[in-house]
Amino acid sequence: MEPVRIVQNAPLPRKFTLMTGLPDVGLVGVVAGSQIVSSLGMKEIGTVESELFPPLVVLHDGVPKSPIRIYAKEKLAVMIAETAIPAGAVYPISEAIVNWSFSKGADLVLSLGGMAVQNRQDIEVPKVFAALSDRKLSKLVNGAAEILGEGYIVGAYALMLKKCAEIGLSAIALLTQSFYNYPDPEAAAAAVKSVNMILGLNVGTSELLHKGEEIRLRSKDFMKRTQTEMARINKSQECDVPPLYG
Amino acid sequence: MSKERKKLNFSDYLRRTEQITERMLTGGWNETRSTIEPLSDIILGATEVVVTMDLPFVDPNAVQVSVKADDIIEVQASTKQKIRLHELGVKHRKSEFSSYHSVLRMPVPVNEEGMTYKLKRGILEIHLPRQK
Repeated sequence: MEPVRIVQNAPLPRKFTLMTGLPDVGLVGVVAGSQIVSSLGMKEIGTVESELFPPLVVLHDGVPKSPIRIYAKEKLAVMIAETAIPAGAVYPISEAIVNWSFSKGADLVLSLGGMAVQNRQDIEVPKVFAALSDRKLSKLVNGAAEILGEGYIVGAYALMLKKCAEIGLSAIALLTQSFYNYPDPEAAAAAVKSVNMILGLNVGTSELLHKGEEIRLRSKDFMKRTQTEMARINKSQECDVPPLYG
Repeated sequence: MSKERKKLNFSDYLRRTEQITERMLTGGWNETRSTIEPLSDIILGATEVVVTMDLPFVDPNAVQVSVKADDIIEVQASTKQKIRLHELGVKHRKSEFSSYHSVLRMPVPVNEEGMTYKLKRGILEIHLPRQK
């Protein structure tokens, strides 16, 4: 049995985009992904299961749910997590997401995450950067984000990007400037705007800004658990300067 | 001096025990004292220690920072409104919170004199000069 399994309960069209909102820096992906799911009225179509995850369910309207779920509408699927990904599950979950996307005929894996900046308080509008599995994808990004040329990416998105590049599946990791240790709804709003441009969506961001304080408070405990796992995978290495270039 | 120091250590010990228990049992929501322990971060610089804290809903005029011992700081801050858990979707708990409280151990001794702090985008940033 595979260590991480994706259980799909409803069909998906071929050539869909899988967007992932896994918890990392500033919880940008989770907050942005949740906003996209609720704004587009997406339906749950699957879950991610593993004995490597904490033994928990999340109750929503009294119904027990898997903490990592996939929602879909038309040609867009969104995976969001409500629990920190244990460091020991990072490799298998990355592998499972890419293998599943490839086998189901996805044509793009779009990952949403944060990029820690020390002077975040002084930044009015966070910038979005894009790391690509293939340089040709810069046409698709087309000004929605600044292409990342050099640097480290650490965690599930790093492994997914590498694996997608190896098997020829298009992948973009959108990394938005954010706080490292604090939930950052403003960064999530900037990420959603980039997604709108890339995928031609019209997801609103005013709610994220209006309810920013509530989102930060609600996400406090989740952020704390995510911090612990980020430390275990040396996430802060993303701030390092790579020694080689070119 | 030594008695004073001993007293501070004991109270520090109690606070730390309380903090650990709080974190383990409630994730930083102290329902007995109606306080929330905020997320925080400590950066050690060459001449100063910088502490940041995420304080959503904080009243900017009700933030107090004090140095309790050479290497202990305490932050208390009231919120602009009562934070009720059931309004955050936790229907089975009726608790409400009206302030943040945090006691942090600094990695090196610091001076209260010269300490500055500011609140921006709901993040408290405290600069504490290192003791020479």
